[in-house]
Amino acid sequence: MTRLLSDICYIRSGDKGDVCTAGLIARTPEDYATLLRSVDPQKVRALYGDWVQGTVHCYPMDNIHAVVVVMERALGGGATRTLRLDQTGKALGHALLRLPVVEA
Amino acid sequence: MKDTIRLGAGSGFWGDGMDPAVELLREGELDYLCFDFLAELTMALLQRQKSKNPQLGYVPDAVQTMKTLMPMARERGTRLVSNGGGVNPRAAAQAIVTDARALGLGGTRVALVEGDDLLDKIDAMVAAGVPMTNMDTGSSDFASIRSRVVSANAYTDSTGLVEGLAGGAHIVVAGRVSDNAVYVGPLVHEFGWQRDAAHVDRIASAITLGHIVECASACTGGMSSRFADMPHMGRVGFPIVEFHRDGSAVVTKVPGSGGKVDAFTIKEHLVYEIGDPRRYLMPDGIADFTSLALREDGTDRVHVSGVRGQAAPEQLKLVIGYQDGWIGESLCFFPWPHAYARAVKARETMLERFERLGLKADQIHFDFVGINTLHGPGAPLPEGAALDNLNEVGLRCAVRTRTAEEADKVRRAATHLWIMGPGGTSFGTPMKARPVVSLWPTLIPREFVRQTVEILEA
Repeated sequence: MTRLLSDICYIRSGDKGDVCTAGLIARTPEDYATLLRSVDPQKVRALYGDWVQGTVHCYPMDNIHAVVVVMERALGGGATRTLRLDQTGKALGHALLRLPVVEA
Repeated sequence: MKDTIRLGAGSGFWGDGMDPAVELLREGELDYLCFDFLAELTMALLQRQKSKNPQLGYVPDAVQTMKTLMPMARERGTRLVSNGGGVNPRAAAQAIVTDARALGLGGTRVALVEGDDLLDKIDAMVAAGVPMTNMDTGSSDFASIRSRVVSANAYTDSTGLVEGLAGGAHIVVAGRVSDNAVYVGPLVHEFGWQRDAAHVDRIASAITLGHIVECASACTGGMSSRFADMPHMGRVGFPIVEFHRDGSAVVTKVPGSGGKVDAFTIKEHLVYEIGDPRRYLMPDGIADFTSLALREDGTDRVHVSGVRGQAAPEQLKLVIGYQDGWIGESLCFFPWPHAYARAVKARETMLERFERLGLKADQIHFDFVGINTLHGPGAPLPEGAALDNLNEVGLRCAVRTRTAEEADKVRRAATHLWIMGPGGTSFGTPMKARPVVSLWPTLIPREFVRQTVEILEA
């Protein structure tokens, strides 16, 4: 059975202009190593299709076992002009939990 | 001089609950109660209000909250600091002074911090060669929106807040100071920090702690992925920072209040709405969130230490708002059986209506509510019988247009479905078209920003 990121981490996301920022937080130190293997900009872009139009960055935070995912041009123009219901991307980040875990 | 300053977070946004702030003030033994009321979306809304009435444009809650809290705050010696002035801090400060007089709190000193509003300086900046490049899109064609600009507010640092506090203010009200400046300002004032190399890490720590608590209950269990484990979130406690002279701090909350403070709730907020965590850029300085250590220090107490930073950036963020057409929106719901198929057919019908109505749109967006509204292409469709047997599906349509008349065609097309569309459809009240203020974030040299402070006395 393929595990998903939802099995090993938690998420919080939000907006900065047309940028969606999401923090994935590993449940355990072991999960952090797995999380690092399982998330990268290509996977994030592939997941969201044309909803994420710009560059994606993934920043590791070894000190708190988290990865910050920054998705540019990802909110349909930003909170004040987007046609999406989730104007500030609070829900958008949760889709990252669908990414499959890359086992060691 | 105190070695530890206690700051409470009184609000995380315009619309936040006020009862946790009252509890904090009553039981938190606070030196300062700090309020962040602003968001980019908020600034655009406030600008619209001010354009209708020049006396408006501040966050109404900011004035109402001060009115409620100031008698107890004066009694306890807690100072109240907020950025609730929005796009009209002067009107907010005047309203607070009026309230103080009405409450019999003569002598109340209200510091008014202005200087973030650069609407009148835009042409001077352009003439001086500031490129005004859009940070989100990379576009440098600022001329294309110049005639539609309605606001321009710089994210300012805590300098004005510090000056107001040094001037003996009981209440400080500012416009667009950065969210965490309302925490940094009191700490710079209390500890007498200079903006030099020796204090860079301590200011970075203040910025970090400000970031952790600036959304109030968002670090005490609100929005938590472990929300199911959070006790009594309906009476959640807002956070308290016990900030030590050496730059370390403890985040806690009032004993007996709902929610939790633990290493996880702090981590959740550390990663919220940031860019590169090694360089959390604020007008007061740059904090490295990868340098800090968290330690649980008893129930509902988390110790934060080790924050390193760099000096404040040479440029400040300026968010320019401009009129950018209209949005029309509609929503309707379809019941089992074959709810999804009905929604698909209704979408086809609406597109035909748009054609017949001659809709001119920049963008047309449809969602199937219950299926892909939140994650779009990231959400796979249910398959086969599961898709055919959904209890209900909604169809949402949102359209961006140049004029209000065009946007209104969406409401009309959706209304036509009342009897032109599938049977069994449920409609709420039709939604009014709304004007769009788009944002053009850019970077400008600091020297264009001059904060001014005035102390009004009740």
